[in-house]
Amino acid sequence: MSILAAFIDGLRRVQRAPWLVAGLWLSTVLLALPLAVMLHDQIGTHLGSSLAAQAAAEGVNYDWWNEFLAQASGVGQSFVPAILGFAAVLKNVSGVADATGLPLVIASVVIAHLAASMFLVGGALDRLARDRALGAGGFFSACGVYVVRFLRLGVMAAAAYWLLFVHLHAWLFDRLYPWLIEDLTVERTAFFYRMALYVVFAIPVLLVNLVFDYAKVRAVVEDRRSMIGALSAGARFVVRNPATIGLYALNSALFLVVIGFYFLVAPGGASNLLAFAIGQLYIVLRVVVRLQFAASQVALFQGRLAHAGYVARPLPKWPDSPAAEAIGPGV
Amino acid sequence: MAVSKRLGGQVLAGTVAILVLAGGERPAVQTPLSPRTANYDIDVTLDPGTRTLTGGETITWTNTGAMAAYSIRLHLYWNAFRNSESSWVKQRQLAGDDPFADTPAGDFGYSEIDTLQVLAEDGTPAADLKPALRYISPDDQNLDDRSLTAAELPVPIEPGQTLRLRVTWTGRFPKNFDRTGAIGDYFFVSQWFPKLGVFETGGWTAHQFFANSEFYSDFGRYDVRMTVPSGWTVGATGVEQSRSDAGPGRTTHRYVQADVHDFAWTTSPDFVEHQQRFEHEGLPAVDMRLLLQPEHAGQADRHFAATAAALRYYGEWFGPYPYGHITIVDPAFQSDSGGMEYPTLFTGGSRWWAPRQSNDPEAVVVHEAGHQFWYGIVANNETERGWLDEGFNEFADSRVQWEAFQPNYLAQRFFGGFVPWQFTDIALKRATDTNWMNSYRRAGDRDTLSTPTFRLWPGTHQNLSYHKTALMLHTLERRLGWDTMRKVMATFFDRWKFKHPQPEDFFATLNEVTQQDFTWFFDQVYRSSNLFDYGIERFTSEPIKSRGLMDSPEGPAFQEKTVEGMFRTTVVVRRLQAGQFPVDVLVTFGNGEQARESWDGLVRWQQYTFDRPVKAVSVAIDPERVLLLDTNSTNNSRAIEPATEAAATKWSLRWMVWMQDLLMTYAFFV
Repeated sequence: MSILAAFIDGLRRVQRAPWLVAGLWLSTVLLALPLAVMLHDQIGTHLGSSLAAQAAAEGVNYDWWNEFLAQASGVGQSFVPAILGFAAVLKNVSGVADATGLPLVIASVVIAHLAASMFLVGGALDRLARDRALGAGGFFSACGVYVVRFLRLGVMAAAAYWLLFVHLHAWLFDRLYPWLIEDLTVERTAFFYRMALYVVFAIPVLLVNLVFDYAKVRAVVEDRRSMIGALSAGARFVVRNPATIGLYALNSALFLVVIGFYFLVAPGGASNLLAFAIGQLYIVLRVVVRLQFAASQVALFQGRLAHAGYVARPLPKWPDSPAAEAIGPGV
Repeated sequence: MAVSKRLGGQVLAGTVAILVLAGGERPAVQTPLSPRTANYDIDVTLDPGTRTLTGGETITWTNTGAMAAYSIRLHLYWNAFRNSESSWVKQRQLAGDDPFADTPAGDFGYSEIDTLQVLAEDGTPAADLKPALRYISPDDQNLDDRSLTAAELPVPIEPGQTLRLRVTWTGRFPKNFDRTGAIGDYFFVSQWFPKLGVFETGGWTAHQFFANSEFYSDFGRYDVRMTVPSGWTVGATGVEQSRSDAGPGRTTHRYVQADVHDFAWTTSPDFVEHQQRFEHEGLPAVDMRLLLQPEHAGQADRHFAATAAALRYYGEWFGPYPYGHITIVDPAFQSDSGGMEYPTLFTGGSRWWAPRQSNDPEAVVVHEAGHQFWYGIVANNETERGWLDEGFNEFADSRVQWEAFQPNYLAQRFFGGFVPWQFTDIALKRATDTNWMNSYRRAGDRDTLSTPTFRLWPGTHQNLSYHKTALMLHTLERRLGWDTMRKVMATFFDRWKFKHPQPEDFFATLNEVTQQDFTWFFDQVYRSSNLFDYGIERFTSEPIKSRGLMDSPEGPAFQEKTVEGMFRTTVVVRRLQAGQFPVDVLVTFGNGEQARESWDGLVRWQQYTFDRPVKAVSVAIDPERVLLLDTNSTNNSRAIEPATEAAATKWSLRWMVWMQDLLMTYAFFV
């Protein structure tokens, strides 16, 4: 299977799994909503019945915003201008690239989302690999089957990312970069050094991500129990199939297209419901891209080593354990 | 080349021709504008390889005081960068910053006096002061600080008498510390020569070098010859008089400037030189010379426009710029020399990626150009009363930005601070943003403005001297009106140009021009650290009802009464902080009518009641926001039907999209 065929097949698989897209989008909503409610209350309390609310409702009341920030605590401190429009994307991507820490309250939600994603990813991969609807029972059954395996895999991934983000990042950006620019008098050169270091840093990060992606794919498609084996198999597949890198690049290009789209339409501070709708459309597209990575990688793997729709584990049946109710009377 | 351009494109053959045409001295200012109390004749050589300066200077100082001088004070500012024991570093450490924590051995700087002599009238040495020279630390008794020296004079200098000193010294550049130093081939040379203190009524005013404070010295004439590698561009206070060969690979540049109180210079082989002439009706023309970093080649027009705006508006508002020339230095990346003022020369500071419609570099260029007026011409003691120039200038530069550079959008930077993003929904406002309300709000009560600047709680110099003062002056502007405020400042400028004013001189000028006594105001904003916050405590508007025992022919009888068609609006306003300021209270009614009450703001709370045929819809205290020092304006108003829910919903949902994007960004790892 070619890169393009896998890419297109992946898109079709995602298209045929709208509930998966909706579910993952919903997971972001459900996790972000409690903090949004907290922020809503903080903003409401701070505004009270002030006339400042009118300007804040109609546009950006930057004077009030600054006052709020000066007095805010907890989630309120994350309510900064950089959440506006496309700056939100820059802030988040830049935060990862610069390994910037997150406030505790925000980090706790991110961790919760990572945990939820770890649970859901098995079901999502299973659904995309089978390329047919399994129902909620089938989906969550697969989630349950893979969650412990992916937890083990997650420990290995965390170790790899820890090495990269804590040690390699620190070496590149806290030691090498200052050394490179120590006597530099031209900012443009420093900018290019930094961009080059981002690329240098991104290469191992993306490779690790790629290998772990295929480890998950192989764990699901081949029903692997050993995650060390899955990781090894994933790495083998990547090494023997340079197309994996090409596909990753193509999916990354799709990601950039989505980002570019949001760059063009990202709302500022003036509008209200339309702005929220555009924001949610963007988040849905981000979910689609995330699933497209998985779906196209599954398609490529199945195309190269198995066949489309092949999954080693039998279709889950509910209940699939010999429960007493299933045995029935007189048997 | 620069000189020939200034003379309308004539090509001049050399130094002699220049001198003949210029009458021996090129600066436009020929007639003394200042007392020229301390005059410096300096020769200095830069060795870029070892980053050292070797110099000799003759100081001619006249005692303009009322008493004899028995000693001298000489500043050696570069010793602040000598080691981690200097008072400058200790103050930085107190602010939580340790600039020398990882400094390599070669990056420290120093200044050492080699010889110090009193000269006789014929120029021959009359007395050797070097043996008597000692380091003093009158401000903090730090015996390890070497930024200030003293030496007893063999013969007192009586009022009106002149002292001539000959000093030779050696200095090594620190690496880019506190707006002086060197990095690569870029040298910014400030506070570099042994400099006298100021002899005033009470004796010498001379302080050690602290991180909080800047400088103070007498007006005089500077004749400086700087020897640097041939081919390197030199920018300096004053105007270049000549350029001569100084041996293999070296050139001496001579710059002269009178009626200034400091001299700074810079040299680098990398500068790209641009020139423009500022001309505006009613103001003297000024030749603007811009030394730009090559990577900022596209920003020449922005630097010139900002400088011209400062020259124009400050000139129109306060008084003309008298020197006829100004040099703008665009500092090298990482040089830490940006955003600093020196007479007829200043440093800006820009970024390689600098979006238009965000005032970077305009803000810093206007500010530093503005310092030519507040600091350069009106030369207050920055060490003790830094707010007099920094705050005045912040106030004025903010007004220039508002006049000349709109819109000015908020910009923030990402990816290591390199990639800017402009928020076109957030146009920065003069009153709060470019007066830096946030900065004042953070530290407004950490110290009082009347504390000598060098003693301010470390890290609060900007919050107080710059930003509190700007807000304080803008508050006065809003109370008095711009025409009156401009007149106050213009009078102060005219009265104190080429002199050293004290805060009381400004207070007196304000009182005189306005014919009001503002002592009450300065007692709070200058002599105390009081904060201001007025707010609405209660706001109701309801039908007028009363119940209880009412008068009746039979005596007190119970009644419940409602006055049909009438509503009672009750407002309670409160002073929530110690600061007192008269404010208005404005109530708006449902039919559009408004009622305004003036409150002196002295007591802690005040109630107002209005009986009207319509309900009130809103109330605001200080509705025009005259009191910009009020740190919390959200509580300044209330509405009967506020849009709070709409605002809270809108912004929490907007925040939620950011949070979801963050979750999706981190989902990459799973």
